[in-house]
Amino acid sequence: MPCSAYQRLLGFAGKFAVVLILGFLILPAVVVTIAAFNDKAILSFPPQAWSWRWFAKAIAYQDFRDGFRNGLVVTAWSSSLALVIGAMFAFALHRYTFRFKKVLEAILVSPLVIPHFTVGLGFLILAAQIGWNRGFAVVIACHVVLVLPFVLRSVYVSLRNLDQSYERAAASLGASPLRVLLTITLPLLVPGLVSGWLFAAMLSFNEFTASLFVTSQRTQTLPVAMYNYVREFADPSMAALSVMYIVATAALIVFANAFLGLGKVLNIEQSR
Amino acid sequence: MNPQPFLRAFTAPAWLCAFSFLAAMVAVLQFSLRAYVPGSLDPGGFTFANFIDLLKPLYARVFFDTVVICFLTAVSTLIVGYPLAYALVRTQSAAIKSILLVIVVTPLFLGEVVRTYSWIIVLGNNGFINSILLNLGIIRQPVQFMFTTFGVVVALVHVTMPVMVIMLAAGLSHIDRDYQRAAESLGAGPIRVFLTVTLPLSMPGVVAGVTTAFAWTFSAFATPQLIGGGRVNMISNLVYQLGFASFNFPFAASLCVAGLALTIVVLSGLRLASRRLENIGPH
Amino acid sequence: MNKAADIGAKAQQETAAVPDEGAVRFSNVTKRFDAVTALDNVSMSIKPGEFMTLLGPSGCGKTTLLNLAAGFLSPDGGEIRIAGERMNDVPTYKREIGMMFQNYALFPHMSVAGNVAYGLKVRGIAKPERDRRVQEVLALVRLTGFEDRTPRQLSGGQQQRVALARALVINPTVLLLDEPFSALDKNLRASMQVELREIQRKLNVTTIFVTHDQGEALSLSDRVAVMSEGKVRQLGTPQEIYRQPCDRFVASFVGDTNVLRGRLEGIEGALAVISVGVIKVKVPSGAVMDVAASAPIDLFVRPEHLVMTEATPSCATSGTIAAHVYQGGHVDTYIECKDSSRDRLLVRSAGHETMARWPTGSTVGISIVAGEGVAFV
Repeated sequence: MPCSAYQRLLGFAGKFAVVLILGFLILPAVVVTIAAFNDKAILSFPPQAWSWRWFAKAIAYQDFRDGFRNGLVVTAWSSSLALVIGAMFAFALHRYTFRFKKVLEAILVSPLVIPHFTVGLGFLILAAQIGWNRGFAVVIACHVVLVLPFVLRSVYVSLRNLDQSYERAAASLGASPLRVLLTITLPLLVPGLVSGWLFAAMLSFNEFTASLFVTSQRTQTLPVAMYNYVREFADPSMAALSVMYIVATAALIVFANAFLGLGKVLNIEQSR
Repeated sequence: MNPQPFLRAFTAPAWLCAFSFLAAMVAVLQFSLRAYVPGSLDPGGFTFANFIDLLKPLYARVFFDTVVICFLTAVSTLIVGYPLAYALVRTQSAAIKSILLVIVVTPLFLGEVVRTYSWIIVLGNNGFINSILLNLGIIRQPVQFMFTTFGVVVALVHVTMPVMVIMLAAGLSHIDRDYQRAAESLGAGPIRVFLTVTLPLSMPGVVAGVTTAFAWTFSAFATPQLIGGGRVNMISNLVYQLGFASFNFPFAASLCVAGLALTIVVLSGLRLASRRLENIGPH
Repeated sequence: MNKAADIGAKAQQETAAVPDEGAVRFSNVTKRFDAVTALDNVSMSIKPGEFMTLLGPSGCGKTTLLNLAAGFLSPDGGEIRIAGERMNDVPTYKREIGMMFQNYALFPHMSVAGNVAYGLKVRGIAKPERDRRVQEVLALVRLTGFEDRTPRQLSGGQQQRVALARALVINPTVLLLDEPFSALDKNLRASMQVELREIQRKLNVTTIFVTHDQGEALSLSDRVAVMSEGKVRQLGTPQEIYRQPCDRFVASFVGDTNVLRGRLEGIEGALAVISVGVIKVKVPSGAVMDVAASAPIDLFVRPEHLVMTEATPSCATSGTIAAHVYQGGHVDTYIECKDSSRDRLLVRSAGHETMARWPTGSTVGISIVAGEGVAFV
């Protein structure tokens, strides 16, 4: 493309702005990484000495270990349940007409705009009223509701992008609706299902506000344990744990981008 | 049309899910209309007292602050996020696009606690920024970022940025490049093209982004709690305090209900104001 | 409707059920989408082994009719029979049809062999038999050795052959083709058309073919149904459609045509005498039977049925050459002419010597090949 000096200047200014904004996005991760390797318990920049000991301490800390384990339990259940419920409903939403379709959709999508503390308080009161103690069931139910909209959207977008002539072709070849679903629709939806599940799992594992309300000491998830730690202690164990968190999450995102194409999943591919 | 073979089986779990969620919301509503019995976890009889109490200046102030913080955050995130979304959609290089995507999306899944904690280290009195400024001799005394609205908003902008960029990028990506090319061919310079073509056509993405950023900020708890440190309070902090410090669940519930009503009013106001703009979105 | 008529209608339906009445039979089929009537009381019978083309502009209802035959839609009125059996309430997968889609719809997660074997697998056919039939049909479409490729590794023409093989391997009662050539470039398209027709003849499979390309329709079909606005305008062999279009729509939609202003002189049995300028032509009287003598008439003449001559008073009409368009095998000449009811006449001549003989701007006489042309009011 031919460019005038003025356009080049403009392009340079734009790039500079983007780099600044990226810096803003990355800054906390960089700073927390420096802090995590600081040998002293008190923050100082730049650190006088470096060490891995806060990582060891974070890994050994019992509340973090329990939180991690609880988080895995809650995440595995809630993201898988949300995947099944959301995928089936997305299919119905895309293909069928039925009574109260719009109402049901609105209810299930509403947790996107309803504050998590409200959802958390709601499930807390509900559990108390029907006499459940604060066990995993309540936490999982709450998480399913919170991550369902993301699964729904992901699967719905893949369904919308799925050319229906594949299913028609299968039907014309004699495959019953169930067979079409299992041998054609489901295999072709795998990227959407995987990305929906992955998003649901990552959101559930990191969910904090609602979890703070519905978990108990016995069921507290990792973010809740981290929050409690930050309130009580100031040493860099939390920074070390944050670094592990950031690395693991970034790795998952890189993986998702490589295998699923985040641009497609997030629906931000440039048309033409 | 043809029969709908799996309709019942496919919608039943969704109904179950919707009902349990509705039940939780009804529980909140119901509690908001009950009296607080000090020292007891069970609520008393029906009353409107909770909602009348909300009008006290102490609480009205928190509502006002919450809305101000939400607006500041949403607008700041929009301004900071737009260039990034534009770059993300328009970059020709697949590698740059991937890098941008990973940097933008990763914080979305880091969770509020990790991000808030990181910002404490950045903004604290002996944190990163103050240390740098002190070492360089630019300041003598640490600048107070913690426990200020500014500090809370900076951290919240960081929290809402990924979702804003994703929504803006989704809006931008659906604009046919030929609109811009047409404007250029008619002699419009780059800034004019942006202001007269790109920006108006991206309005649906802007509205979606601002709406979501507003809702997310409203929902934030850890950031105002830890960075605001009790001096910057949002509704979420009040709800938690009332629930877990004084066990006044009825009043906490009424705060939730009022907060929800406020969200709905603000969001539908935004929708209404933007409806005219949405009409000119890309086809 | 009274009882007697009701019974009469039933008796008629029963005779329609006799298999040799047609491999596929649409009786008074109507389909509406909300307020739009996509098909309005369409009846059509397709003979066993016949290649029937549904031709029309987009929105004419041809695809809707195909989708009704496939069972992707169900009719709001009327009846569809395949091999004599009523199909209205039979779902697609029980219809024993083979279908080829516009984008081929090859399953991207299966190999070529997997795609072709799918219909056999669904029918519970054992593996040895399945493999044998897959080999057989792949040989038929000349794709032996491509079994393990994925659809993405194939060219457009190869993909189309796989789609055809997949549809044929189940020995369908009827083969449905939904604009299968529209994605191919021109050269490939012509050779694929020939190949498809050969295979269709060899297997003698009843075929319904949907297209908006009139050239394709004329060259491939046993019979063509020209459709517009949810109705069948004309049903006949390609020659009938081209030479004796039944109305203005068919005459203008199928092939290029000129419209000359004329006057009805009289009816002589099956022929109408039309005067154009100073000459008189005789054309089939079908469409102008009931018109009063000396009424104005439009005479539709194909470009190849007009001949350029020296401008003499005995010509049908004359005009000024506006442009020659060299087409390789023939030359299209556009002529400004006062008797044309459209802006210009189009004359198609074989040799390029016309271009030298009548340069742009020269005046030519135009005569009509005897016996050609159709008249409409």
